[in-house]
This record gives sequence, structure tokens and C-alpha cells, in this order.
Amino acid sequence: MRKTITVILLIIAVFVPFATSDILPVIGDPQSAPNTHVSDYYIEHAIEECNSPNMVTAVIVDYRAFDTMFETTVMFLAGLSVVIILANRPKKRIPAFSSLKRLKTADGRPVYRTINKDVMISVIEPLILIYALYVLFHGEVSLGGGFQAGALIGMTYLLDIMVVKRQRPIFRLSKAGSAALAGIGPLIYALTGIVTILGGGLYLEYNKFPLSVHQAELHSIGITAVEIGVTIGVAGTIITILNALMERTYFDDDND
Amino acid sequence: MTENIPVLIILLPLCSALLCLALTALGRNLGIIVVKLSCLASFVLSCFQLHMVVTGGTIHYAIGNYAPPFGIELVIDSLNAVLLVCFSLIGFLTMIFAENFADKKRPMLVGGACAETALLITGLLGMTSTGDVFNLYVFLEITSLSAYCLISLGGSRGVVSAFRYMLVGTIAATLYLLGIGVLYSVTGTLNMGDMREILSAGGNERAMMTAMCFLVPAFGIKMALFPFHGWQPSAYTHAEPGSRPLITGVMGKVPAIAMFRFIFCIYGTEFGFVRSFLLIIGVFSVSGMLYGSLMAMGQTDIRKVLAYSSVAQIGYISLGFAIGTPVALAGAFLHMMGHAFMKGGLFFCTGAIRYKFGTTDINEFGRIYKKMPLTCGLLTIAALSMIGIPPTAGFFSKWYLALGAAQEHEWIYIAVLVISSLLNAVYFFRLIEKVFIRHSSELKDRWQSEALELPVSIIIPIVVCFAAILGIGLFNVKLVDILLMTLEGVGL
Repeated sequence: MRKTITVILLIIAVFVPFATSDILPVIGDPQSAPNTHVSDYYIEHAIEECNSPNMVTAVIVDYRAFDTMFETTVMFLAGLSVVIILANRPKKRIPAFSSLKRLKTADGRPVYRTINKDVMISVIEPLILIYALYVLFHGEVSLGGGFQAGALIGMTYLLDIMVVKRQRPIFRLSKAGSAALAGIGPLIYALTGIVTILGGGLYLEYNKFPLSVHQAELHSIGITAVEIGVTIGVAGTIITILNALMERTYFDDDND
Repeated sequence: MTENIPVLIILLPLCSALLCLALTALGRNLGIIVVKLSCLASFVLSCFQLHMVVTGGTIHYAIGNYAPPFGIELVIDSLNAVLLVCFSLIGFLTMIFAENFADKKRPMLVGGACAETALLITGLLGMTSTGDVFNLYVFLEITSLSAYCLISLGGSRGVVSAFRYMLVGTIAATLYLLGIGVLYSVTGTLNMGDMREILSAGGNERAMMTAMCFLVPAFGIKMALFPFHGWQPSAYTHAEPGSRPLITGVMGKVPAIAMFRFIFCIYGTEFGFVRSFLLIIGVFSVSGMLYGSLMAMGQTDIRKVLAYSSVAQIGYISLGFAIGTPVALAGAFLHMMGHAFMKGGLFFCTGAIRYKFGTTDINEFGRIYKKMPLTCGLLTIAALSMIGIPPTAGFFSKWYLALGAAQEHEWIYIAVLVISSLLNAVYFFRLIEKVFIRHSSELKDRWQSEALELPVSIIIPIVVCFAAILGIGLFNVKLVDILLMTLEGVGL
């Protein structure tokens, strides 16, 4: 009964807009409200106010930087939730990637003769990392930025752990360590705002960084600091989720 | 520095939550101590902010110093300021309380749950103080995600109820996003004040009606308003015990504030369909008040009783919106504060009894008052407040609701208010009977060696909730005066 009521009400709520479908403006209409009110201001002022050639970056990490901070926190929250729900239970564990042993033929050569993935991966990984840094530091100029750079770094780690079976890993993070790293990223973002408060401004007011450089440079510094925070947060989250999946457990402990 | 208080209240729990895991890795209790201190600081700052708002008027805080329609703005009026004090206080009390339910052998779980609770507090405080509709959505996401996680930490049933809540909650978030999408398409702004000015120029009635059709179910689901409450009883019952007072006490109220903002602050009473929507909300509230009370009478698990009683109590809050006069709105907000402490307090009691005896079945509570006098004191006062006996908070909020309904000649609302209160009396007196009169039952104390009734970290929340329920009742006139500073202009 109560499910029926809920469903009926939701259906009504969904079908009302179809009954009055002409409320939305025509696509690409230059006179519609979204194209005339706030966006005009952004187009006219973004480049001089934020010193960012990319207006999207200016809106995301300068005009609406507060939203982006919490979106990054959502990433951290998702990673943390996954790891403490999946990988923090006392009972038996299912290792996800238990034995990724190197497949060899009888005479000791690798199965795949055309490509040796162990070698290839160690060539590709540094290149991906360099590209990640490029995306991070030039992201605000072109299309890109912290989220993409973080995803690239996280994927490098993921590739490394899934493809190569190393005796001594070069760089491994425990699940506690990766979750802590995922939290440090948004923290850098938040502290960027606190620094501007200490410099006498409002929160995330990049003009008020306590540094003696030109105002346009201050905006660039602020945007870069924020993007670094986002990168660390996203990379940490991806590694955390990977760790959680590798240590996931059954849900058979009912301590209720 | 004082002009930065609105944002610092949100930032302190956020930063401590982000640091919590790193600090837990350094020292076992370091992270939790930092989170507790930051929540306390947030509470102190919100008290100071309330003083600033009462003496100096509404605070507008433009983040990044960009003028409001272009940047994000926090708006603290007298309403927000009072509610922020209540919510940050309950958040702090929950942080103290939660340590008793932590599994000391698994530090990462403890630190993680602590960070999740602090992020829940961040989201709730942010939703209360923001003045931007998309920023509200971001805080709604933070609140929902941390709540899903905290509910799923309460064992296998918790996982199932969290999953159900997640499915429904995602629909709610989508509906909210569609609603503000429609509003953005006709106004071109996301700032609440700016949107109000553009919408009040008129000519957008149909788009506004469509958006409201999305927004009412969205907030209805989030605040567990009947008939959107399906996720709520099991989620409240099986949530992680440490953070349960916060989830039950505050989480349902904050979407109600957002609903109030949309109906009365953004749309305003000159919106043509406002009476129809208020009537729909009124019907939902009235049915919820009866349904929740009836369902609560049939339960034996105290957590389920309280969860169903929340469905009814949310009905009182939305009933205040449905009546829509300033007095009724003041009653609704007074009930929001009072109920946050009542329900939070009742769940502190439940947690305390469970901590000491490991049971939540009402039938085993025979003469428990001899063993736990303080807890049963709060249990009684909160139950009386739920029923609405003076001089507790519940009586005065219902009084203002009834007063508002009488001004509008809504006699049905008053009748249902009385009937629902009587139904509340049935199941709360049953609880009181079990606690005080029924033959004592054999309960095994799990912590024999304690000198006090309970650890200090459980006694503090219980005492504070006791004081708050009486305080809100006794100083209701002052509180309502502060609330009316904002509400005078917005009601019907």
C-alpha cells in the first residue's frame, strides 16, 4: 500500500513536466534567461578577474570554488565509505587478485611473445605520470585540471598493482594510508581558503594571499594550489577504492 | 576575523574530518580528539554568531568576495543562527557519545566513522546556512553520502537499510537537481535572493509549478515526510549506534528548512499555486501524524517506536509550513529545535541502555529507573515533551501550531494535532509504565565495575538534552521572538 502511494506520487511528479513541456527555453536561444543573466558577467570578466584563459576553470575553481571544494570532499567521502564498509569487517577475506603469477611456457618464456607487459608497463608508467603533471599544471589553460590529473595518477598505481608482480614494490599504500592521503587533498584545498582568511580577506579570496606579487599572479597561485589539492584527493580516492576492493569481506556478521 | 565566522562554523568540522584519518594513523586517539575539539569550537562560534545576528541583523557572507549572483553566498538570518546553535550542539554531543560504541581494536574503523560523523555535521550545518541553491545540493550530497555510510556501519541489517535509503535518496537528489534546473532555465541564477527577485516579477508561474512538483517530493523523501518515509524506520533503527542521535535528531529537519526556504523565501506567498501546494503538504502532514503514531503503538523495539514517532513528528513540522502564518511557522521551527533534542535525547537514552544492558526491547525495561535514574529522567521528560505536557518544549511548539491554525480557521489541523498527541500519549505512557511500574526484569550489567551509572561521556549528552528540552520550553517566548525577526515578513 505505502509503496503504491509512493510510486504513484513519483510518477505524477515525473509526468507533470511532460504536460507542460514548453517551459524550458529553446536550445541555443541567446535571449533566454541562463544566457543573459549571470553568464554574461562571467564571459566579460572571467579573464581579467581570475587570470585564467579558460572560463570554465575560472567558474569552477574561482567564482564557485566553494562548491568544488565540497565536490572534492564527496570524492574523499565515497572512497572512505567504500573502504570502511567493505574492508573493515572482522570475518574472512576474499582476496580479489590473489595470484597474478607470470604465465610461462614450459621452457621459461612468457606466453605472450609479441609484447612483454612487464617491460612495457615500466616504460608507460613514467610517461603517464609526466602527462598527469602536465594536465595538472596546464589544465587551467586547456581543458583539464585536477580531477583528470588525479585520475591519471590513480590509474598508474592501479596498472602497476594489477599488471606487475614485483618482489619489492616501489610504491605501495596501505588502506589507512591511502584514505589519509585522500583526505589530505581536500584539506589542501580548504587550507588555501584559510590562508586567504589569514591574509585579511574572505574565504577563498585569492587576491588576499599574503604574498607580494601582482594580483593576477595571486589568482594563478590560488587556482594551482586548489588543483593540486584536487589531484591528491582524486588519486588517493582511486587508490583507496582499489585497496578496499582487494580486501573486501563477506557481510555475514550481524552484531545487531 | 569576526566576519569569517559563518564559514568557519562549516570549515572546522570539515578540516578535522579530512585530517582525522591521517591523525589516527599517527596516534590512536589523536584524530577523535581533534574532531571533538573542532565540533566544540563550531558550537561556540555559532553561539557567538547568534549574538551577532540578534544584535546586528542578517549576515551575508560572500565567498571569494564576489558579489552574490556571481559567487556563492552564505546567508545567516535569525532563523538559521538559532538552528545552527542547536544542530552544532547535538553534533558535538554525538561526537562525545560515539566513542563508547567504538571498536577499539580497529582504529581505522573508529577514525573513519568519526570522520563520517564530522562530515555529516559539516553537511547539515552547510545546508542550514547556505544561500545558493546549487551549493545546497552539494551539501545535500555530503549529508546523504555520510548518512548512507553511517547507517551501513550498523551491521548487516544496516547495510540493507542503507542500500534502500540510497536508492530512494538518489531519486530525491535527482528530483532536486531537476527542480533547480527548471528554475535556472527561467531565472539564469542560482542565488536564492536573486532568484526571489526575478521570480517575483511574475510570468513564470508554470515553470515554478513544475519545479515545485519536483522539489516537494525531493525534500519529502529527504525529511521522511509521509508518504515518502519508506526508508526511514529501518534506517533509524539499524544505524550505527554512536551516530544515531545525530541522524535521527537532525538529519530529517535540515531538508525541512530547505523546503521552507523554497516555498516561503524563494517562491513567496504571491506565487499563484502556493495555497494548493500548502494544502498538499498539509494532507501529507496530517496523514503522517496519524500514521506514524499508529505504527509506533504496535512496535516493541524502542528504536522502531521512536523511528515511527519521527514520521509523526516531521508531520508536525510540515504542518506548520502548511498553515503558513508566521506564528505557525515559528511553532514549526520551535518544534524542529525541540524535537532535535527530544529525539536525539531519546536515542541517547536508548544508546545508554543498550550500552549498559545490551537490550532495546521495551518489554525488558522493567523498573530500569532504579538502575539508571538519570537516563530514565531524560526518557521521561523527553516522552512528556513528545506528548506535549507543559512546561516542556513540545507543549509550546504545539501551542504555537494550534494558535496559527486557529488564526487561519483550519479546525481540521487542530483536531488532528490533538488526536495525534493523544496517540503519542498512548505509546509513550506505555514506555513510562515499563520503566517505572512493571516488575523488574533480570538484566545483566555489562560493565559491573563502573562507579557512576554510566561513563561521563554518556552522562554529559543526557544532562544537556534534559536541560535543553526544559530550556526551550521555559524560554520559548524569547526564542519565538528571535524566530519572528525573520518570519514576520514571509508567512501568509
